[in-house]
Amino acid sequence: MTAPSQLTVTGDEMKESSAIDQEPRVPASAGTNRPERPAEPAEGAPVELRADCIADSAGGLTFDLNAPQETPAAWSAALVLRLRGGDGADDEVRLPLGPNGAGCLRAVLPSTVPLAEGRWNAYADLGDGQDPRRLLPGLNDLRSLVDRRPLAGIGRLGVRIPYATKFGNLALRSWRRGPHAEAGDILVAPDGMTVSGRLYGAAPGAGARAEARVRRDPTSCGAAPATVTVPLTVEGTEFTFTLPYEELAARWAHGSEPWDLWLRPAEGARPVRLARLLDDVADKKQVFSYPALPVRAGAEELRVGPYYTLDNDLAVRVAGPAES
Amino acid sequence: MHISFLIHNAYGIGGTIRTTFNLARTLAEQHDVEIVSVLRHRDDPVFDLGPRVALRHLVDLRENSPGYEGADPAHARPARIFPAAENRFGQYSELTDRRIAQHLRRLETDVVVGTRPGLNVHIAKQVRRGPVRIGQEHLTLDTHSRALKLALRSAYPRLDAVTTVTEADARTYRRTLRLPGVRVEAVPNSVPEPALAPADGSGKWVVAAGRLARVKRYDVLIRAFAHVAAERPDWRLRIYGGGAEKAALRSLIDELGLYNHVFLMGPANPLEPEWAKGSIAAVSSSLESFGMTIVEAMRCGLPVVATNCPHGPGEIIDDGVDGRLVPVGNPEALAGSLLELINDDAARKRMGAAALASSARFDPAAVAGRYEELFGELLARGRGNRLRGNLHRARGALLSGAYATKDAACAALRGVRTV
Repeated sequence: MTAPSQLTVTGDEMKESSAIDQEPRVPASAGTNRPERPAEPAEGAPVELRADCIADSAGGLTFDLNAPQETPAAWSAALVLRLRGGDGADDEVRLPLGPNGAGCLRAVLPSTVPLAEGRWNAYADLGDGQDPRRLLPGLNDLRSLVDRRPLAGIGRLGVRIPYATKFGNLALRSWRRGPHAEAGDILVAPDGMTVSGRLYGAAPGAGARAEARVRRDPTSCGAAPATVTVPLTVEGTEFTFTLPYEELAARWAHGSEPWDLWLRPAEGARPVRLARLLDDVADKKQVFSYPALPVRAGAEELRVGPYYTLDNDLAVRVAGPAES
Repeated sequence: MHISFLIHNAYGIGGTIRTTFNLARTLAEQHDVEIVSVLRHRDDPVFDLGPRVALRHLVDLRENSPGYEGADPAHARPARIFPAAENRFGQYSELTDRRIAQHLRRLETDVVVGTRPGLNVHIAKQVRRGPVRIGQEHLTLDTHSRALKLALRSAYPRLDAVTTVTEADARTYRRTLRLPGVRVEAVPNSVPEPALAPADGSGKWVVAAGRLARVKRYDVLIRAFAHVAAERPDWRLRIYGGGAEKAALRSLIDELGLYNHVFLMGPANPLEPEWAKGSIAAVSSSLESFGMTIVEAMRCGLPVVATNCPHGPGEIIDDGVDGRLVPVGNPEALAGSLLELINDDAARKRMGAAALASSARFDPAAVAGRYEELFGELLARGRGNRLRGNLHRARGALLSGAYATKDAACAALRGVRTV
């Protein structure tokens, strides 16, 4: 796990994602020691390249670039996506860049092209023999993603959300999940939280349940990994469950303890991570925020509440008195 | 025409900078336009100025620059021309006084435009005879302190025109400052046509955008949305922007149990794609100098439900045609008008289309046209009737002196510093 150098994160957050948006390294194939910032227009440097992104409701993306007039697009021009932190053959995707009217180039990323989960930086290779250039974001028209509701029977769900990085470059977040449990509204109450959602790529059957698993460093203290299980109420592909806070609080050991939430669609089925992916919000953590409520555990008053991880997975935090 | 804008800092981020750049870019299609930035703290401006507008600075505050002047002892001594009552006084100095004076004395343009009160005072006092002198008011007269109003009253008679962004503020200027011979004209801010398709009115989202500051009264909007969500739980609210009120608004959302319906989205730039995701825009402010977000939302095809606060909303929205105006600080009234549009798909789409059409009057081409006309008339007045132009200048200088003497006398009695 690479530790990002500039971001202050708690230990919990570190475990949630190693792909924090810090763009910590220059892509290996870029060769030079370029800083991860929009290039300063040096003398004779070409104009900066911007891409407008339009999303379709199936999960596809269209990129429209403003092309420099003086360099007509070569046959080999491509929009290049590189998985941050990746160096395998599948960690670079090249999409042909073709002319699309005067001064414009277009590339299409269909939903059928698989992109591994993570953050992908976007570059333009104009086929002019130069290193691919980092793309800047233009207008991201993501309205078709806002209330996205694919068919529940979909085998594997692909989600790609374009966004501007901290340094103002264009990147995509990608998820590939199948089956997938999409979290919807969450109601928090003093005795527990009720989550409703929808299951994709799996039919709920007998023994369907939700599982909360505490995320603990296995080397620390002797506490056994704990799991709390509650039954799932199912109506077609829609589900709800109520997770009692008392049970989580009773297993609290120390500090701030995150619990990850999973669904088991049926007895013996593989567990499915509960997450919120089907909209236009690249980072859910700050936007979808829920109150943490006081829960008594013996002599201590803990605070318990749901939150989204840096990967937009749903979790619950049980925090001791010193943590709030 | 040669047109020169004088701006506080063209390299920052803010409404005045954005709207000045829009105007300068559009005017530059027909005229020679420059923007002179008193301060420069960054290599490149944040907003796009286009290829035709010249940009230069008077004082370099870039610490890594060989021309860095922030350590000049003259920059540590207080300004004498830039009025002490101006909000930005702390950033001005003997050095800025000197540089601005040099710049204005040498100015060879037809028109010079100041973009904030302190700079307008410089222009009134220091521009050599010749160029038409315009002072822009981007806020409102009412929001200035008494001391600043006195400073403006003594300097502004020497301007040829003062522009405000609303008719309401122009009336206040005419009524309270009494500037004989000075044209006081309302010219709204411009908003370019968005580069993406307008909203189609089908999404179940209400959108608001602005700094999370008290004056925006997002607490009222959130309380209003409690009524909306009770009746129409399928509709939700997004508020874009960051600011000091964030934590308080977050607690209010949690307290009202609206965390599945009201979302604080954080700052977004550009905003157009975010408006386009909504079907109704909401503005709950208790004060808007202009109401830029209202025009932005309308240009994306959204009907706007806004408080009828001073100064802008009532001049932008045609109540019942392209939006609704509601009383300030009244969550029930705001909720009522939101629900009216939520519950009537046809009316919502009709008003959205009307908003799209009527907001075209804020296009940069239309707004720049109004300025061109104003500049042209003032130039003609100066040239065609040199005697009258000179008379105005002489009277302006006299009045300016008279007001200054009188105000200084009054101020001395009260112990206020006026310059």
